[in-house]
Amino acid sequence: MKKPSARALFARLFGSSAKGISVEKSVLTGYAAAGGTKVCVIGTCDGTYIDNAAALRLAAHVIDCIEHHPKAPIVMLVDSAGQEPNRVAEMLGLASYFGHLLSCLELARRKGHKLITVATGQAVGGAFLCYGMFADRIYALDSASVGLMPVEAMSAVTKIPVAVLRKLSKTMPSLEFGAKPFALLGGVEEVWAAKDDVQAKLAKAIATASTEDNRAELGRKRGGRKLALDIRKKVLAASAR
Amino acid sequence: MTGTSLFHEQTARQRIAALVDPRSFAEMLPPPERLTSPYLAQLGIPVSFDDGVVIGKAKLGGKEIYIAAQVGQFVGGAVGEIHGAKLTGLFKAAARDQVPCVLIIESGGVRLHEGSAGEIAIAETMRAIFECRAKKVPTIAVIATDIGAYGGIGILSTCCDFRVMTEHGRLGISGPIVIEKWMGKKAYDSANRALVWKTSGGKTKYLLGDADALVHDSADAIRDAVAKLLGKSSAITLTSVKTRQKELEKRLKRFGDTADPDAVWKAMGVRDIAGASLASGPEFAAMAKRGK
Repeated sequence: MKKPSARALFARLFGSSAKGISVEKSVLTGYAAAGGTKVCVIGTCDGTYIDNAAALRLAAHVIDCIEHHPKAPIVMLVDSAGQEPNRVAEMLGLASYFGHLLSCLELARRKGHKLITVATGQAVGGAFLCYGMFADRIYALDSASVGLMPVEAMSAVTKIPVAVLRKLSKTMPSLEFGAKPFALLGGVEEVWAAKDDVQAKLAKAIATASTEDNRAELGRKRGGRKLALDIRKKVLAASAR
Repeated sequence: MTGTSLFHEQTARQRIAALVDPRSFAEMLPPPERLTSPYLAQLGIPVSFDDGVVIGKAKLGGKEIYIAAQVGQFVGGAVGEIHGAKLTGLFKAAARDQVPCVLIIESGGVRLHEGSAGEIAIAETMRAIFECRAKKVPTIAVIATDIGAYGGIGILSTCCDFRVMTEHGRLGISGPIVIEKWMGKKAYDSANRALVWKTSGGKTKYLLGDADALVHDSADAIRDAVAKLLGKSSAITLTSVKTRQKELEKRLKRFGDTADPDAVWKAMGVRDIAGASLASGPEFAAMAKRGK
């Protein structure tokens, strides 16, 4: 299957209002409409690397939305390979740039902006952690590459043979790469298929979003992440004593 | 009294004991509960009864705190499902009880052997940290070892109100070996310890304003710094994020094309580079005109 262009993808999600999204160096910012309401859009496309400047541009747009469009939902599209390993970026404190972007999103959440993520392409590692995974509710296209890393990459670092990881991933979806196994862990609320009316899905996602983080509950219910919720509850019970 | 022992040489439990009021620490989900990673077990890798993080309640200067210390000796302090859930639970408890939370970080980030579960756990812990911050419950990260705060945990550390560092501590996302592989040895020689520490070490982080305190490598010094921050919190407001946006834009504009960390130090007011390199954390802090 040929990968749709970024523009075609925006049109699928936002219809004609997608023209309000500008793309510069694969970083996107703008305003569009979903379910008849104005939404703020931030994100990445083309599997780009996200660096200090990109984080600042996304943060600036979130601030603009808070200032000028009170309570407008913020839709985050994720198609990024992560942070490019770079010494100067590290020296300048890339982690702090990401932390700043997260703080802006947190402020938006507190001020009543709903935060919805749609993983559209690559949603891996740091690039997913630095904004997409911070949403109220996270969705993914079934064609998206969602997860920590493919088993080949995991094998290269851990020195565990690919065959072993593949076999284990059959019973441990955490080791498998992709939108569906990620949903089994609760990391994604719902996976959207190519045939789905994603405009309607997005409108519904915005309407039903809640700021309560439900990922551990979902992961337990779906069986992909069986321990997290119970351990968390144990800590909350032990600390209440 | 902790004598002259160096904080970075201590174990996680020693660090907590040395930091908090004597005999005040009560560990939650302690090793006898045998909460071990099923992922590591399946892979035939040794497990640990605390899954690499010690959590509990304690007092510091008579004030109640929640505290966690990651165990760097165990898979580099990396975050798996259980490890991460313990952290999420701790910050959620801190938010619920409005008790400050101190996180002694020693972690390379997500535990790769557990795949995406560790990544989601870090995202959940970030949300829990911001729950604390919404209630003005102080969250303080201590970064004091060479394992430092990297990957997702590097990002997570920047979500806390404050960061206390020592000169040994390192804060970043990609580590030097990964960058060297990517950019080549010419751009980043990961064996050049001076360059590595000037890139990600406590001194540079303090100088640029990403660490809020730079202190001696001892529990006493770290305790003093943490105690000073326990009553404070860093509010997230429209004004605060706009100010931070300007600071970070200015930093990128000033130093975005600067490959040499010495040039950054000089521009930030460090006159004697050789002296500053050898100076202790607090001496360095006194020498440097810390700028925004």
